[in-house]
Amino acid sequence: MRGIVGVFPELDTTVNAIEELKKLRVGDMTVYTPTPRHELDDVLKHGPSVVRRYTLIGALLGCTFGYWIPIWVSDYWPLVVGGKPIASWVPYTIISFELMVLIGSLATVLGLFVNARIPRITHTVGYDSRFSYGSFGIWVECRPDEQETVRRVLRDKGATEVSSDR
Amino acid sequence: MTTMAPPDRTALRPDNTATADVQLPAITSYTQATDDILDTLRVTKAWFASLGVAVLCLLIGGLSWGYQIYMGLGVAGYRPPVMWGVYIITFVFWIGIGHAGTLISAILYLFRAGFRTTIYRCAEAMTVFAVMTAGLFPILHLGRPWKFFWLIPYPHWRLIWPQFKSPLVWDVFAVLTYLTVSATFLFIGLIPDLAVLRDRETNPVRKQIYGVLSFGWRNSDREWRHFARAYLFLAAFSTPLVLSVHSVVSFDFAMANLPGWHTTIFPPYFVAGAIFSGMGMVFTIIIPVRRWFNLKRYVTINVLDAGAKLCLFTSLVVGCAYLTEFFVAWYSGSEIEQSYFWNRVFGQWWWAAWIMLTCNAILPLSLFSQRLRRNTTFLFILSLWINLGMWYERFVIIVPSMSHEFEPWKWGPYSPTFVDWGILLGSFGWFSMWFLLFVKQLPVLAIAEVKEIVPPKMRYPHHEPDPEGHSISPGLIGSYEVR
Repeated sequence: MRGIVGVFPELDTTVNAIEELKKLRVGDMTVYTPTPRHELDDVLKHGPSVVRRYTLIGALLGCTFGYWIPIWVSDYWPLVVGGKPIASWVPYTIISFELMVLIGSLATVLGLFVNARIPRITHTVGYDSRFSYGSFGIWVECRPDEQETVRRVLRDKGATEVSSDR
Repeated sequence: MTTMAPPDRTALRPDNTATADVQLPAITSYTQATDDILDTLRVTKAWFASLGVAVLCLLIGGLSWGYQIYMGLGVAGYRPPVMWGVYIITFVFWIGIGHAGTLISAILYLFRAGFRTTIYRCAEAMTVFAVMTAGLFPILHLGRPWKFFWLIPYPHWRLIWPQFKSPLVWDVFAVLTYLTVSATFLFIGLIPDLAVLRDRETNPVRKQIYGVLSFGWRNSDREWRHFARAYLFLAAFSTPLVLSVHSVVSFDFAMANLPGWHTTIFPPYFVAGAIFSGMGMVFTIIIPVRRWFNLKRYVTINVLDAGAKLCLFTSLVVGCAYLTEFFVAWYSGSEIEQSYFWNRVFGQWWWAAWIMLTCNAILPLSLFSQRLRRNTTFLFILSLWINLGMWYERFVIIVPSMSHEFEPWKWGPYSPTFVDWGILLGSFGWFSMWFLLFVKQLPVLAIAEVKEIVPPKMRYPHHEPDPEGHSISPGLIGSYEVR
């Protein structure tokens, strides 16, 4: 869908523009920022990230696998030493802990990639290289009849450049 | 009204006090921060010269290793009873070096200690390269290094089943996990900065490479939201990991029934020593980087002061552990243990023990002086002594125990050979080579995180409402709320 992108040099004007656009309920909005700012997060009012679920599942899988593999190996090829238990959970906790951290971390990265929708190999609509340098940006994906309203709001709120992209 | 940030606490503090927060008064805009940090990537003749020296050291190490493979492990100075020598000492040394990097990048992140912001990238890279260096030593220690994959514990058709109750198997899991998680943590933190490099690069080939490495990152609110959460969890995983890895390394010794080794103090003693040695190496690296790359406005004297306090604290912990070891040996009533510790300090190995005690427990006491903590030349020289002292700490742990165990007829000498020293030099060359390549290909400061502590450009002054009555004020440290 076609959209409008506005480039803002200042943080406060970006926040004001987001508030105004949210009031008008015009299309989906993506905000670009060179660094994470709590002011933007507060005005966007996103819910909690679901990456935490990936982390939890990965950590549980790693922990379980870390106990299972030494217990299975000990049972399959017992090394009997002086009446000691063949499957001894205390030393296996070390293996389990390390695998919990390893698989939990990798699952967290997977969660980041899935939810942030990266890697992204296609041309990114609405992105401008200034957004990684020093400027803020708002990309609004909207219907043709809403575009003029969006342009006006972006300009009125302080965008130094407003353009359309597809 | 939109939002209100916490009050500016740093404004209340005098300028010359190192605190957990950080201020960069000389940096006024995001663009200045980006330009200054990207400016460090310019290649200079001094960098080429340094890289040449590093590669030369690596070659010396490679030649020494080749000679050892051809002649056999005997040329490495191994003589019964001392069958763990310079290689295991250096393995533990490099693993320890990595720990301060994780402390600064992960643990201080969780504690919201802002002074880490401008040094953590260097420290985290140091961690990854130090663990890569450490990982070479179990292989160098092998008579037939081409069979190195036998070290990896997995059930296979040769029916050589891994013994999961062995500390050496735990070590494999701990070190490989540490390497993987540290490298992942470093790389994930680099993604937004790689996007900056991609956007500022003019060379098409390099732009393409940075584009692939940045995974198409575009600084959107969606990306930052999930990034912040993922980064927090990686930090949360790294924190217990850093404690576990050197504990597991200490089990390599503590599980063995040798005087000086078989003690429960080893895990905390090793962890504190690792962080202390890592802080020493951080200063060895960050002070030249700060000077040569003109980063004094970023790595401020307050940052170094705060780091020096951390170094002093860990030195006190290490010094306390040394004294505890002596006390426990005396209090145990075990003649063998007492004899061993007497030999360590006043006997065969007195010189190594006193190098250790002087460099690790006595010289760092100078950091109680604020004037010395804020003197970069002094900090750099002290860091070299700490590096030396911590290498000798591992020497003192390993060699005297093996050379002076229970039976007097088993006692024996140990002296490293030129092969040992060559490989030790090669390990520094390997580490330095990777680090030097890193500093000219990737930003040594985290651009996105530095921008977090730079006040953003505002149309209306902070705390003052705009004509429509809106007002926002920027936060200081960790301004992004993790949801």
